[in-house]
Amino acid sequence: QVSELVQFLLVKDQKKIPIKRADMLKNIIREYRDAYSEIVNRAGRTLQEVFGLQLVEIDTKRHIYILVNNLPHSEGQYLCRGKEKEKMGLLLVILSFIFMKGNSVKDSESSAKIRFVVPHFPFAPHSLTPPFPGALWEFLHLLRVYPGKQHGVFGDVRKLVTEEFVRQKYLETTHIPLTDPPEFKYQWGPRAEKETSKKDVLNFVAKIQGKDPTFWASQYSEAEAVP
Amino acid sequence: ENRESMLNSKSNRLTEALEEANRLFDGVCRAREAALDAQFLVIASNIGKEKANELHSEMSAFDSTAFAEDLLTFMGINRTEETDDSEDVPGVFLPSDAWQTMGEEAPKYFRRAPTFHYMMGSFKSEPPVPKQRIERQKKASRGKAEQAMPAQLKKMEESHQEATEKEVERILRILQTHFENDPNTPISFFDFVIDPNSFARTVENMFHVSFLIKDGLAKIKLDEDELPIIEPLKPSGGGEEDSRAGARNQVVVSLDQKEWQ
Repeated sequence: QVSELVQFLLVKDQKKIPIKRADMLKNIIREYRDAYSEIVNRAGRTLQEVFGLQLVEIDTKRHIYILVNNLPHSEGQYLCRGKEKEKMGLLLVILSFIFMKGNSVKDSESSAKIRFVVPHFPFAPHSLTPPFPGALWEFLHLLRVYPGKQHGVFGDVRKLVTEEFVRQKYLETTHIPLTDPPEFKYQWGPRAEKETSKKDVLNFVAKIQGKDPTFWASQYSEAEAVP
Repeated sequence: ENRESMLNSKSNRLTEALEEANRLFDGVCRAREAALDAQFLVIASNIGKEKANELHSEMSAFDSTAFAEDLLTFMGINRTEETDDSEDVPGVFLPSDAWQTMGEEAPKYFRRAPTFHYMMGSFKSEPPVPKQRIERQKKASRGKAEQAMPAQLKKMEESHQEATEKEVERILRILQTHFENDPNTPISFFDFVIDPNSFARTVENMFHVSFLIKDGLAKIKLDEDELPIIEPLKPSGGGEEDSRAGARNQVVVSLDQKEWQ
């Protein structure tokens, strides 16, 4: 059962969509339900000892797992299929932006320039364009990445960011209450928390901008503070 | 209502709005108005949280525009002096492998599990069906072959026996002929059986001679030099006693290729 589960997890991890306990029970463990935790523990040990991968439960309530690489970075080429590497590039840029902006950035349903209406007040509704300098899509505009336009490398970028990255748990979107049109905020998802760190991301920003990480004092102290 | 101006850290508009809401609340007497007031509080607290956030990030101001420009540089953007068309940003051109360049750098910052793929791909589900058919055919043909075999074998064995018998008879005749020609000179056993050209033949000859001896058609004696000699016997009735008594001697002769040479 253990080796079947190991294979199951490795294949399920291909798309980087987190694995649910329910799927594991249904497909592999089946009648051995009572031994579930023992089987999972042993599978985790095998994954670590044989593949150097860590089985991490990112949602203890709903029992959802991901595989994370536990080996130190090797200097060689990172083997990837398809557009994996480019997507990771975009993701890194987004995660950096979110962190440097205070761990949370806003976006709204419609495009960057929207009409902001508050109907709840008895006054005549105003309409204004929220600037949010630094909102995620405004930032990506600067990199020639547009939500409404098909991108040469990423295709439907909005779908990639709001669906794929979110489903993979790299990003998390939360609806801000009582906003109309609905507004969301983007934060790091649990997979991002496990696969990278604020420190790594700050180092990336520092490298790109040719500055020392300590240049951004509060981000630096936040990055150092994480246990 | 005017979210942006409230967010401005320099403005006190949020505080003013809160104070006004407080005043208004005193005049509230209907449930609907109370609900409105509650909604206002939610919005106000959200704005308050955002203001606090902005304060925090302003401590170490992050210039996202500068970051974007540096990223473009990293990705290999071409900034030329000429202006080809006045529509777009003059002379700025992002190469097609821009994101590939980023893709080379990015994995270093992630502890991402390499995706697992079978090297040889998976088995296709078709082959099993033809395989069964082939197996059945094989079984059928094998049955026939087996049936054919026993018949052949029988034939072979028969011929084998015949061959041996013929050989033995032949050798006996040779022996008898030799003895008739010269009855007083013993025939050396070795001279008789050894074929100077073939070791295998020699062994065969010895084998055939042994039949003669077994059947009492020849006998081997030791001469004065202790060397074996062979002579034919006449199978006669009187020989029965002899065969009972004396013919049960056995001789083991060992001969290897070296000795034969």
